[in-house]
Amino acid sequence: MDTLVNVAHGLGVALQPVNLIYCFVGVFIGTLVGVLPGIGPISAMSLLLPITLSGTPESGIIMMAGIYYGSMYGGSTTSILVNIPGEAASVVTCIDGHQMAKQGRAGPALGISAFGSFFAGTFALIALMLVAPKLASVAIAFGPAEYFSLMVLGLVVLTFLTQGSMAKALLMACIGVVLGVVGLDSITAQPRLTFGRIELIDGIGLVPVVMGLFGVAEVLLNTEQVIKRDIINTRITHLLPSREDWKASAGPMSRGTVLGFFLGTLPGGGAVISSFASYALEKRLSKTPERFGNGAIEGVAGPEAANNAAAGGAFIPLMTLGIPPNVVMALLLGAFVIHGLQPGPLMITQNPGLFWGIVASMYIGNLMLLVLNLPMIGMWVQLLKLPYNILFPLIILFTIIGVYCSSNNVFDVYVMIAFGVIGYFMRKLGYEPAPLVLAFVLGPMLENNLRKSLILSQGDLMTFVQRPISAVCLAFALMLLVAPLLPALRKKRELVALDEEV
Amino acid sequence: MSDQSNVKFRLNNSELWGGLIGLALGGFVIWSGLKLKLGTINDPGSGFVLFYTGILMCLFAASIIIAALTEGGPTFGSRWVNTRWTKPLLVIVCLVAFSFALNPLGFLLSAIPLMLLLLRVVDPVRWPLAVPIALLVPLGMWWILKRLLLIQLPSGIFEIG
Repeated sequence: MDTLVNVAHGLGVALQPVNLIYCFVGVFIGTLVGVLPGIGPISAMSLLLPITLSGTPESGIIMMAGIYYGSMYGGSTTSILVNIPGEAASVVTCIDGHQMAKQGRAGPALGISAFGSFFAGTFALIALMLVAPKLASVAIAFGPAEYFSLMVLGLVVLTFLTQGSMAKALLMACIGVVLGVVGLDSITAQPRLTFGRIELIDGIGLVPVVMGLFGVAEVLLNTEQVIKRDIINTRITHLLPSREDWKASAGPMSRGTVLGFFLGTLPGGGAVISSFASYALEKRLSKTPERFGNGAIEGVAGPEAANNAAAGGAFIPLMTLGIPPNVVMALLLGAFVIHGLQPGPLMITQNPGLFWGIVASMYIGNLMLLVLNLPMIGMWVQLLKLPYNILFPLIILFTIIGVYCSSNNVFDVYVMIAFGVIGYFMRKLGYEPAPLVLAFVLGPMLENNLRKSLILSQGDLMTFVQRPISAVCLAFALMLLVAPLLPALRKKRELVALDEEV
Repeated sequence: MSDQSNVKFRLNNSELWGGLIGLALGGFVIWSGLKLKLGTINDPGSGFVLFYTGILMCLFAASIIIAALTEGGPTFGSRWVNTRWTKPLLVIVCLVAFSFALNPLGFLLSAIPLMLLLLRVVDPVRWPLAVPIALLVPLGMWWILKRLLLIQLPSGIFEIG
């Protein structure tokens, strides 16, 4: 009953005209960046982070969330029609989606991907509504030791799942922690690593770092290659899948939804891993696995449902524990912090309008995506024809303006350009930026909780293993750190990492 | 990947240099932590986390170096094989030039040439298209920000914009 009352309260917030507009803008931009190869949800969210300052916290967060799940939706369009993933979570959709398009079945592929996304998004939201308040009531009992261990686990999981060398990913995470603690020490007010620059007293801004590492670096990487686009030019018909298509897709969609939601809630997990896991599962369960790779609709339905369910599931650790499980959620946490809010167990009770408003808006956003986007497929296809040599200077200009507007400070533009160049060389040398960004966001919290727990326990390190939740998290983290040393597990990890790279 | 089959020591091994940079950064972080004071385990100081993070950085960097020395690794050149490496370089040069010009010249006088350069140097866009885009997009953005959102972009010494 309480949940229904809360949902009604949330709908009241989400249905306010201004929030509806923000929600629409969010899902529209999300679909746009999902469709356009070379710019993903992270770049778009960091680009629009400053804009959220102009409205209420609800409006800003609603828009940011809309960009995230909108991009999951839009990414599949590019994968199916052009064979280029609009964003990382849609990589796997290329395999069978584009084959279907080549066989003249682009319509059903796009349709099942849209309905699968909607179904999974709805499931994820219902689960979020049911699980989040319960988890939050448990999380109130968490102390600094539990938070510290959870954050360590989140970082280790992400580094474990990052492609390539784990040592490199861990090094990146450490650099992220160091960058995160630049500025005044929150306990002693002593400036750290500021090199006498007044601009660094408040720390390095999240927006320039993320825009540099993801926006500018991505552009630099893309300019290296000639982006070839094999756009399906035939008229797209039969967007509503046939009865056979539904029959073949129902199972994969349901399994993908549950799997994606579960993986999305795990620290370090997310949409990319979920889509690959779902594809692998469907191929394994199929009686005709040889059809996979040749236009099997199950290979589109499962992963598309999984990545959308994961996008919804990822909100659980952020909303209930205040810990972002992946980089996108770290950006969303940044948006909360910019508005002076701290997501966590207390937010649901102290600010129910915000929490339930965001949840309700996500459902409305999912509906908007379904109602608006299927008829708009033609427009997205036209947009795909925009040449990258015109698009990338625009992206660069928007990142410059976005960064400047976030702080009204030219220094941040320099920081962004510097991180853009660093990010480019990092990627070229096989150092992934994701662990750095997550650690950058978690760094100050990690440090605070570590120091607090040491002060509270009077320097007794056993506090981290005597508390059960903390002990379990640390044990898990330790297991993952040791895993690459064991040949069998190392091979498994490399497989996952390779899959992500495809 | 062919480089990796040859495990002999190579100075242009990119993995080795990546590890060495990590090691140097780790050393710097340790030194910064020590300078900021570690405090005690009962009452950790400002440098506590930095110091131990620096140690971890050195350990991870050392493992990268060891792997580079024992298993070899791709050379710097091989990282850019079959790519148009001059294109990102040109974009970087444009961005650095822009960052130097932004404060003295202001947004408009630096963004318009930047756009024109970016449109022409990577995969050249035809002049009749490049010029209007380079002019209209920064001008349009400047107008929206200044008139509608009341955000003042840098106007430079000439106070244009």
